[in-house]
Amino acid sequence: MARIISFMQALNEAMAEEMRRDPSVFVMGEDVKIGAFGQTAGLVNEFGTDRIVNTPISENAITGAAMGAALNGMRPVLELMFCDFAMLAMDQICNHLGQWRYVTGNQYSIPLTIRTALGAGFRMAYGHSQCLETQLMQAPGLILAVPSTPHDAKGLLKSAIRSDDPVIVFEHKKLVLGGVEGEVPDGEYTVPFGEAVVRKKGKDATVVATLFMVYEALNAAAELAKEGIDIEVIDPRTIVPLDKDTIFESVEKTGRLITVEESRIRGGLGAEIAALACSDYFSLLKAPVQRVAAPMAPIPGSAVLEDLYLPNKDTIIRAVKRTL
Amino acid sequence: MGLDKEKLLELYRKMLMVRAMEEKHGELLASGRIQLMSHFGTGQEAVSVGVTGPLRQTDILFGTHRGVGEYIGKGMTPTDIWAEYMGKKAGPCKGKGTLHLADKKVNIPGLVSSLGSDFSIAVGTALAAKMRKLDQVTLYFVGEGTCNQGDFGPSLNMAALWNLPLVFAICTNQFCELSYMCEHYNTEDVAPRASGYGIGHEIVDGQDIEVTYDATQRAVDHARSGKGPFVVEYKTFRMALHFSGDPGGYVKQEDIDEWSKRDPLDLCQKKLFERGFLNKEEDKTLREGVKAENEAAVEYAFSCADPTLNDLFTDIYAQEGVI
Repeated sequence: MARIISFMQALNEAMAEEMRRDPSVFVMGEDVKIGAFGQTAGLVNEFGTDRIVNTPISENAITGAAMGAALNGMRPVLELMFCDFAMLAMDQICNHLGQWRYVTGNQYSIPLTIRTALGAGFRMAYGHSQCLETQLMQAPGLILAVPSTPHDAKGLLKSAIRSDDPVIVFEHKKLVLGGVEGEVPDGEYTVPFGEAVVRKKGKDATVVATLFMVYEALNAAAELAKEGIDIEVIDPRTIVPLDKDTIFESVEKTGRLITVEESRIRGGLGAEIAALACSDYFSLLKAPVQRVAAPMAPIPGSAVLEDLYLPNKDTIIRAVKRTL
Repeated sequence: MGLDKEKLLELYRKMLMVRAMEEKHGELLASGRIQLMSHFGTGQEAVSVGVTGPLRQTDILFGTHRGVGEYIGKGMTPTDIWAEYMGKKAGPCKGKGTLHLADKKVNIPGLVSSLGSDFSIAVGTALAAKMRKLDQVTLYFVGEGTCNQGDFGPSLNMAALWNLPLVFAICTNQFCELSYMCEHYNTEDVAPRASGYGIGHEIVDGQDIEVTYDATQRAVDHARSGKGPFVVEYKTFRMALHFSGDPGGYVKQEDIDEWSKRDPLDLCQKKLFERGFLNKEEDKTLREGVKAENEAAVEYAFSCADPTLNDLFTDIYAQEGVI
C-alpha cells in the first residue's frame, strides 16, 4: 500500500517516526514548538517540550548546542529556519561539525541532523531566499541531502537522523509550502545517501537537477519531447556524497550533459560536475557541458527581477539545445 | 579549611608535571625536534589544574590550547599528550588533532582552537546530560580573551534558560593574545556579565590552588545539585608569551616581578612544607620522578610510528569511502 502525502507531511512523519523509534532523538530550533513553516507542527503534542525544544535566536550557538548534545549521546534534529540564517552558523558547520570525528581520531562522532529551508520565489529578497547548499560542498565530513519529492524527503530525513555523521537536509520552500504531494510507502523505509534516481529516462541529453529544479527540468523534458528531443533527468538526491556512476552512465549513453541548480553558478554543483566531466569522463562528451544556475547577483525583491534571476524550464530548454 | 595531604600532593605533582611538559616542549621546539608551535600557560597552573580537581572522570571538560594544565588535571597521561603533540598514530586523536587534545577515556570531547565556538558545544553536552538524567557536570574552561567571542552571551543565556549543569571557568591571565586585557575590556572583571543572564558568579585568586579548587568545587556542587550554571573567574598572570612565534616586548617587567612573588608552584610547595605533608628531600624525589616520567613519555612518543597516507582518508565519515 502507498499513500499520497505532502512534502511538509513527509518531513513531519520522518521526525515523529524517528522520535518514537529512538528516545535519544529530539527536535530543537527557533519556534519548533509551533513550526514557523509547519514541518514540526503538532510534534509537541505527542513528545512534549522536553523533546521539542524551542531555542533563542542564536544560530551559531544553537548549532553548537546541538553539536554538544550529539557529542554526549543524543541525536538532535536542529532546524535552522532559513538557509540564509544557517550562514550565521558557518563557524560551527564549516569549522567544526564535519571535522570533529576526524580531528578526534574517531573518538567522537556528531550524529546531528540540521534541517534548513532554502529557495527563492517568495519575493523576500536577498535575506530569506538564497540557495546556499553548494557552499557547504567544500566542508569535509558533511552529508548534504537535497530531496525533491515527499518520498525522498521522508526517507532521507530518516536516514539523516539515524546516521552517525552530520547531515544537512535542505528543504526547498516551494516544495514545503507549495503543497507538493507524492507517494510514500505505508511502512518503514529509508533512502540511502549517494544514490541518484533517474526521474525520466531519455537518450539525447543528460540533465542533472536538484531540489525544485527537478520539476523545472521535467517540465522542460515534456516540452522538448514535443520537438522530438528526449532528455534524461537525474536527481542526485544527495550532493555529498554524489552518485557519479548514475550521472556518467547516463552521459555515456547521451554524450551530452546539462546541470541545473537554483544556487549560484560560480563554484557550484554544476561547476563540480563539469570539472569531473572534463577530468574523468571527457571522452564521453559530444558537446561542451552546459550549466544552468542562478547568476552571480543578489536575489532581488522585485517579482519581475526575481523571476529573471531564477533558472527555469526555458533556460533549461535553451541549455539543452546548445548541446545538440 | 585546607585540602587533605593526598589531594594537595596530587595537585602539586600535576602542576609540576604541567610545567615540566611545557618547559620540555619549549626545548624540543627550540632544538627543532618537534614542529608543533606552543602556547604556554606558565604561571597559571593553579587555575588550569585546580579547576579540574573537583571533577569526576564522568564529568566533561572543554579546555584551551594554552598548555596542558587542564588535560593533565583531568587525567590525560603525558604519553598520550606527547604522542598526540608529535602527530603520532598512537595519540588519542591518532595524530590528527595535535594541539586539539581530545580523550574519551577521561571525557574530554575536544578543543576548538579558533576560540569560543565551544561555549555553546559545552551548553550542548550539559543539555544532553540533563536530558539523559546523567549525574554529570560539564566544565568549560576558557580565557578572558575568548570571552569576547559572539557565542559567550547566547551560551550563558541558554545555560541559564535551561538550568543546565554547566560551570564556566574563566581564567583571566591578564592577556588576550598579544595585548593586555585592558586593551580588550573596559572592565577588570568578566564574570559580572553572568548576572545579566541570571547566573551567579564568583571571582577568586588564581595563584593559590586551594582557592581555585574550593571555588570550583562550590560551582560544580551547585551545577550538580540541579541549581544550574555558575561562573567562576580566576585571576592569574600568564608568564609566557602568547605563542612560540610571539615577538614579545609588550609585557611590563614590574608585572612579571610582582606576579613572580606568587608563583603557584612555590605557593603550593610552601603549604606542603608548612603542613608537614612534604619535606625537602621528598620534594626533590617527587620532582625527579616527574622529570623522569616526562622524559620517558617524550622518548616513548618519539619512538611511536607516524601515520601513513591511508590515515589521511580514514575517520572522515562513520563508514569509509564517502568523500
